[in-house]
Amino acid sequence: MRGEKSRLSRSLAEPGIKIIGYIVLAFMFIYILNPFVWLFLTAFNPHGSPFLELPENLALDNFIAIFVGTTKMGAAAHSIYMATWIKNSLIVAATTMFIVIVTSAMAGYALSRLDFPGKNLFMLGLLLIGFMPSLTKLLPLYKLCIIFGFVNNLFGVGIIIASGTLPTQIWVMKGFFDGIPRELEEQAWICGCNRLTSLFRVVLPAAGPGVMVVALMSFLSGWGNFTVPLILIRSEDLYPISLGIASIFTHHPGEVGLVVDYGVVAALSIIYMIPSLIIYYVVRRHLLKIRLARMEVR
Amino acid sequence: MIKIRREDVFLASFFIPALILLFIFQLIPTVWAIQFSLTDMALIGKKFLNPSYVGLMNFQRLAEDRIFWKSVGVTFEYCLISLMWRFTLGLIFSLYLTSKIFKGKTIMAAVFLFPWITPGVLKPFLWISVLDTKYGTANRILQLLGLPAQSWVYERAMLSAIAINSWAGYAFPMLVLASALTSIPKEYYEIAEICGASRWYRFTRITLPLIKFPLVLCAIMIFKEDIDDFTYVYMLTDGGPNYRTELLSLYAYHKAFVYYKLGYGSAIGLVIAAIAFILGLAQLKAAKF
Repeated sequence: MRGEKSRLSRSLAEPGIKIIGYIVLAFMFIYILNPFVWLFLTAFNPHGSPFLELPENLALDNFIAIFVGTTKMGAAAHSIYMATWIKNSLIVAATTMFIVIVTSAMAGYALSRLDFPGKNLFMLGLLLIGFMPSLTKLLPLYKLCIIFGFVNNLFGVGIIIASGTLPTQIWVMKGFFDGIPRELEEQAWICGCNRLTSLFRVVLPAAGPGVMVVALMSFLSGWGNFTVPLILIRSEDLYPISLGIASIFTHHPGEVGLVVDYGVVAALSIIYMIPSLIIYYVVRRHLLKIRLARMEVR
Repeated sequence: MIKIRREDVFLASFFIPALILLFIFQLIPTVWAIQFSLTDMALIGKKFLNPSYVGLMNFQRLAEDRIFWKSVGVTFEYCLISLMWRFTLGLIFSLYLTSKIFKGKTIMAAVFLFPWITPGVLKPFLWISVLDTKYGTANRILQLLGLPAQSWVYERAMLSAIAINSWAGYAFPMLVLASALTSIPKEYYEIAEICGASRWYRFTRITLPLIKFPLVLCAIMIFKEDIDDFTYVYMLTDGGPNYRTELLSLYAYHKAFVYYKLGYGSAIGLVIAAIAFILGLAQLKAAKF
């Protein structure tokens, strides 16, 4: 089968199209990768500037500066906070992930195993909640969060982000649970598990890759979210990285005596990208299998 | 009559945590948004604790608000152009990923997905190095080619925002299109080949009709995402210059959290919600739910 295909494709491949294709591809690579070249060169350049330039020597100074603070004269005072920002982002992302996994696993499992009248309508309602623009909800959320004490509270931010991603994740979880045979749980019940323990001890491990995807995606949505902390976090030492990086550029435009140390910011950006890179590496095989068809809305 | 077993009630109780979360943090805010938009609530001070009911005054003022109408225009311009550009890029890249002519799929996929996996706030920040007027990479390339340098972030602010947005977001249509393309049976093309169909004919008569459906769904989802998100313009221009990049969502944020008019901001938020809701219904209709 494979040999047949490649023979066919060779006969299809006209040399002209191939050359033009590679030239276009080269231009596209420049468009895509251009900003990243600057990012990586600057992060390892002790004298980073906001513009693309070749560093004289490569060093890890910027990464060290994030954790121990900078000694450069007049450099961004922000770097004293950067290690805290990383910790804050981790707290938010971990909270989001934990809440999403527990609640979406339970709801997705019940949706998968339970038949009740109006189930389709329920699923549709979940979908429509997910369609509500986050901004519309954010303004009243601010008042709600004052009541709950979620302003300037990292766990609160995590909970809000979790509730925002929950509808989609329940759908995803249900899809994975549908593929697990019921006999597996029945055996667990015989051994004395109830529904809840069998869910977390037997079904969730069996749904391994699916749970992994949900976990990583929810972690990422907590890690990368910008608008929720923008509204709820008011003091600088509680900023997650997203807000911290934005604040360097927007909240202190040209403050006297402060120079943005681009090298350190670029280093922080690279640290900020690491979880996304890991997650891409783990789920890369599944990414090309996204189906957006009738079966998604069923 | 449906028989209710104890077992099922226990199972149904699994919904409770999720439902509590969704009810408190998604449903109540939505209802409140409607309520807020009918008041003159402010973000701070006396008007925060006991705002007074003003009826449809906020919407009336919206209709007369010159900046609001400008930002409606700006929003649609932003959404439509980035939608087109995202689809163009997505289609090109998905053709690269699925065609059998080009080698190095793994590297291509990794490079194509790189902007997508970058956290949102970083994207405009990364592009400052490219778009700067004096030393930006884009202008340096232009000068290398003998063309005059352009003022990207100031004079072409909208274009810059769209470039960043589509650079950041072409990956989703690319993935959807790539998986749609691979699901087309190979026999169709073989038959077309036997019948002597040209490459263009095969593309327009076989490929396009078969990927039309995921295409439409994807377009609606992207439009909804764009109308909601203001991270890029917030970081790049903050709505300037002269409100030329003031998206509706950013305008709502500004009104509520910079001018402290929470009621007015909620009214704008509801306008966005109405547009998104119509899009949602369109999506369901397109999906033949």
